[in-house]
Amino acid sequence: MTVVGFLRALTLAAAAASLGALILMVFRTFSFGHREYLSAPRGYGGRGLVYAFGRGMLDKESVSRHRPTMAGGALYHMAIFAGLAYVLWMALPLRISPSLWAFRPLLLAGAIVGLSLFIKRTAKSHLRRLSCPDDFFANLFVDGFLSMALLHTFIPALEPVLLGFSVLLFVYIPLGKIRHCFFFFYTRIVFGLHFGRRGALPGSGREA
Amino acid sequence: MENLTSKRDPYEEKLDNLTDADIAKILAELRRRLKAPEIAAAHTCIRCGLCADACHYYLTNGELEDLPAYKLNLVLGVIKHHFTPVGRLAGRWVGGKKLDKVLVREWVDVLFGRCSGCGRCTVNCTSGINIHGLIRAARGALAAAGLVPPELQSTVMMAVEQGNNMGIPRDEWLETLAWIEEELQAETGDPGARIPVDAKGARLLYTVNPREPKFFPLSLLAAAKLFYAAGESWTFSSDHYDVTNYGLYSGDDAYAGLLSERLAKAREGLGAEVLVLGECGHGFASTRWEAPEWLNKRFPFPVQSILEVAAGYVREGRIRLDPSKNKKPLTLHDPCNLVRLGGIVEEQRYLLKRAVTDFREMTPNRQKNYCCGGGGGQLSMTRYAKRRLAAGRIKADQIRKTEAEVVVAPCHNCIDQLSELNREYKLGTQVRTVIEVVADALVLPQKPAAPLP
Repeated sequence: MTVVGFLRALTLAAAAASLGALILMVFRTFSFGHREYLSAPRGYGGRGLVYAFGRGMLDKESVSRHRPTMAGGALYHMAIFAGLAYVLWMALPLRISPSLWAFRPLLLAGAIVGLSLFIKRTAKSHLRRLSCPDDFFANLFVDGFLSMALLHTFIPALEPVLLGFSVLLFVYIPLGKIRHCFFFFYTRIVFGLHFGRRGALPGSGREA
Repeated sequence: MENLTSKRDPYEEKLDNLTDADIAKILAELRRRLKAPEIAAAHTCIRCGLCADACHYYLTNGELEDLPAYKLNLVLGVIKHHFTPVGRLAGRWVGGKKLDKVLVREWVDVLFGRCSGCGRCTVNCTSGINIHGLIRAARGALAAAGLVPPELQSTVMMAVEQGNNMGIPRDEWLETLAWIEEELQAETGDPGARIPVDAKGARLLYTVNPREPKFFPLSLLAAAKLFYAAGESWTFSSDHYDVTNYGLYSGDDAYAGLLSERLAKAREGLGAEVLVLGECGHGFASTRWEAPEWLNKRFPFPVQSILEVAAGYVREGRIRLDPSKNKKPLTLHDPCNLVRLGGIVEEQRYLLKRAVTDFREMTPNRQKNYCCGGGGGQLSMTRYAKRRLAAGRIKADQIRKTEAEVVVAPCHNCIDQLSELNREYKLGTQVRTVIEVVADALVLPQKPAAPLP
């Protein structure tokens, strides 16, 4: 087996291990039990869910007062998913070449936005003091990954470096803050159901 | 020096002399309260800090400790360190925090002293983490070690031991009701108008904030007029009428459950169909939403806000309102526990639009309203009063911008805070409850309406 072949296999193994670890974390989290709602509902949990993943994603001050950060954050996440897809595409024994024109702008934008978020976290006193080392490290780690993926689209010889980087990233995902990508959805579901059944979210209750 | 030492606040001394056993109690109680959503929150919060603008404390004071994400991570850090493998493994690298004496002191100052539990951060959190719920869980953990600020704890204990949080003796309560009954008769011109007490088989059991008999008896009169005009079959309980529940604020589920259960038992004893909660935001959230979970049982009867009941009367044509009786420009404050966290959003608007001629919304309003600062037990915790009044500036500015002459709130805690803000920020407004305004607009029946069977 060639070095690249070995690294491709290792990348896939790391990705699978990362996914497995995240799934284990979810099971462990669920082992704490779920809250049983015993009060009579006044609204509709389902409508709360629709709000939580629909209008409620944008209808808040954390969005309206921070449009550049939120837009940047959305772009950053899209770029990360694109980067991961790019690496897995490369590591899997597929004979289709990814369309570089689709990846390059996204990876470039993601790397720039990621770096801007790092600068923001470092420069703003309260945000810096709120942060733990993982916040800075995970941010830079992902920025490095996106930059490496972008470079690889121009210089295919960098494949072993990109694959090595990817292995480390996959190993780090369940250990650091990147794991929020899994738990975000659960937290949002709980939010929608909890307040939806109270009729406390717009459109979730009986209106007078 | 000895004298100075002996005069130290015993609460501060207790915080200084915490033992490992105290820390263990806090952790055990925190662990008991953890369910999947709380653990998930520890994995979800990315400390983006975008919740900052949601908090009236942060917006007015601007200290790091006021930032909701900071408050949240004081709790999540402990959860991570003590209850998650990643937190145990990576510790401070991932924001894990070992609970020790210094951190307990910070918990007390920040979680009790810089949060009114309004939940505005929760709905503005990019991930939807129940920030105020986690803060309450941590307050409850502190309560297990006897570390609730004494002014708040004494309010809880007053209600537990005396039956109401103002310590009003039963005779005084009954005398007040007798006096209000005379006022009702005078206002309605009907010598048969009654304020029923312990009336078996009445349809509604009505509960109030003890501040009403103590300081605002006209609120009692307003509700009595409303029921009279609707021909309602209702009653007060002579013993358990206190809708407030400071256990919600102290975080102590056992006491909170006890206080709500008393109301449920009073309803059962009198055979009333519906438990009606007076104008009290946290009282509504407590008994309507939280109590079944505190008590681990479903209530086999409806629990309603007086606003729902009154709006029902208007819809059913049981009462008539004349808005020309309330001509002053009026604005509405949305109590957080009733509206954002309780779901009673439109009823008060439905009533006010029919009871006044010039109703003006604050901006923002409804679920997005700013807290007045009176929740979270802040009104009782005098040690944090300066912060509370400073944090109320946002609400004062909102009121001023409406140029209203009257501000109404369906919550007596909010009324107290709004009255203080009125003085502090020289707003020059009248502060009233929704039902008081509705009662002023009532067109009383020529003949008394017959009570429902």
